[in-house]
Amino acid sequence: MPKCIIDGKEVEFTPGQNLIEVARTAGVEIPYFCYHPGMSVVAQCRMCAVEVEKMPKLQTACSMAPTDGMVVKTKSEKTLKNQKAVMEFLLVNHPLDCPVCDQSGECDLQDHSFKHGDAYMRTTEDRRTYIDLDMGPVIQKNMNRCIHCTRCIRFGDEIAGIHEMVAVKRGNNTEITTIDGKQLQTQYAGNYADICPTGSLTIKDFRFKKRVWFLKKTPTVCEGCSRGCNIELHQDADVIYRTVPRTNMEVNKYWICDEGRFNYQYVHDADRVITPAVRTGGTLEMSIWKEAVTAARETLKGKKVAVLVGSDLTQEEGKLLLDFSSKQWAGSQAFHFGTPGITSAAQDTPEDKILRRTSKTSNLQGLEKLGYKGFTSLPHGVEAVVVFRGGRAVVPEVKGIPVVGVGVFNRKDTENYAAVLPGQSFAEKDGTVVNFEGREQKIKRAIRAPRECKGLSEVLMMWSNL
Amino acid sequence: MLVKSKPGLFQRFYVVEILKGLAITMRKFFFGKTVTIQYPEERREYSDRFRGMHYIKSVNGVENCTACMLCPTVCPAECIHIEAGERPDKEKYPVKFEIDSLRCCFCGMCEEACPKDAIKLSNIYEMSQTSREVYDKKFLMEQRGHK
Repeated sequence: MPKCIIDGKEVEFTPGQNLIEVARTAGVEIPYFCYHPGMSVVAQCRMCAVEVEKMPKLQTACSMAPTDGMVVKTKSEKTLKNQKAVMEFLLVNHPLDCPVCDQSGECDLQDHSFKHGDAYMRTTEDRRTYIDLDMGPVIQKNMNRCIHCTRCIRFGDEIAGIHEMVAVKRGNNTEITTIDGKQLQTQYAGNYADICPTGSLTIKDFRFKKRVWFLKKTPTVCEGCSRGCNIELHQDADVIYRTVPRTNMEVNKYWICDEGRFNYQYVHDADRVITPAVRTGGTLEMSIWKEAVTAARETLKGKKVAVLVGSDLTQEEGKLLLDFSSKQWAGSQAFHFGTPGITSAAQDTPEDKILRRTSKTSNLQGLEKLGYKGFTSLPHGVEAVVVFRGGRAVVPEVKGIPVVGVGVFNRKDTENYAAVLPGQSFAEKDGTVVNFEGREQKIKRAIRAPRECKGLSEVLMMWSNL
Repeated sequence: MLVKSKPGLFQRFYVVEILKGLAITMRKFFFGKTVTIQYPEERREYSDRFRGMHYIKSVNGVENCTACMLCPTVCPAECIHIEAGERPDKEKYPVKFEIDSLRCCFCGMCEEACPKDAIKLSNIYEMSQTSREVYDKKFLMEQRGHK
């Protein structure tokens, strides 16, 4: 393997890597703004310029391929002077509104300014300002904070496959905007905020909700579709505030779609059933576990039962239900349900060329592996239905026969239910899900469930013993 | 080697020592300077750096605070609770700003962290209440008359 020398350390590299990546393997951090490993290299910000021996001028590390025996100095006087100059240039026009900005705490510009910048300013001129147009429901724009790294333009062109961001005018007056001031069309708009190195593009949903340094991060897997994108749930005091993508080159690379990003919202929905409930006299009334379980058991007693299992449940829960239902309700049949119109993994197709898939639940493949059949219509002679749901699957309409729901339900879904036993959503439990390729991934508990919401094993324990 | 002197019979009566001590007490009591004051009528001068009751500084009735959350971040007693919001004349402002003065330890770190010179500790030290209410934003802004 070829070797180069970075800051006196000998580093092995594979041809094709650039200097930033190679330096990172050696533990040397080269600051950069416009470079992003998932997109093309433009070498625009000049922040990553480093000194290379036998080259007269500084070379940008992002566009520099190391060669055998190359000697790179990232801490030399020339390099540091350049970094300081670049920081000063960028901060000429950057407003000092870190107290207001949502990006502060995870802002590249803030970090690099702290590390490489100067505490004092030499300019006295006014900063340039812009009037911002609305960019749609996902992204909040603040052009004043922009440093023209053009990451967002490249993201649209290269990843999202839609050319919607452009840079107009030149030099100091450059403005990054959508074409004709239109709203963003892509279903991956949230990533614009993730890749933005400053607070120029931020997420509207997260706006002013929480400062980022208060958030605790849990690595988990998205349950939005059968892709199983790796995500991080950010929570504080058992409230989820946002979802950000987690890098996994084999599944989702650096991105997630907006549907997955905002999927967590049902967890804190005011209409979510979070106490056991029993239907008395036409309305679903709050109850206690003992009464609700008794009522649910009475509903299904001695009847021919169909078990509907949402394909948003984990493998562990699926297996548990398979064993439980065959013992508890003799002669019952178990089906999986999830997305209307999709009853088997074969029908799960890519929705676009990026990440999204048509099966809108996370574990369709897994439940099929366990031996569940897809739900099309109720078999003849079924007298009662019990529905297990993780919060994402769309419950098929069942009419005329009593229904018992176990899991996460919205009050709207439960209009004809005899009893509801509240369960835990994907953010509140541990488990395994299988994505469309058969890849098994772990979901992790990020927050505690509301007090009365119990895990499936506990519910089934009560069901058989209470 | 430790040598203990044994007190004689006269010394063991202590009468002389007691009288000596009493003389000092009497001298201080009748002729010394008094250290206490008649509190509600008389008040002491405190230094300008005294850390008393909090207030939010405002200019023309608009609070300086932008809800940047640096004060709850540094607060060691975790007694500050802020909720941020947006309104037409101000991009970010505190919808809620509450200080639980019962938890506060008056360290003044919030004042030091504040980038907008918004939260301050005043000279007011009379903070006894008959209820356990927290200071809300309205109270914090008005308790010194928008100053």
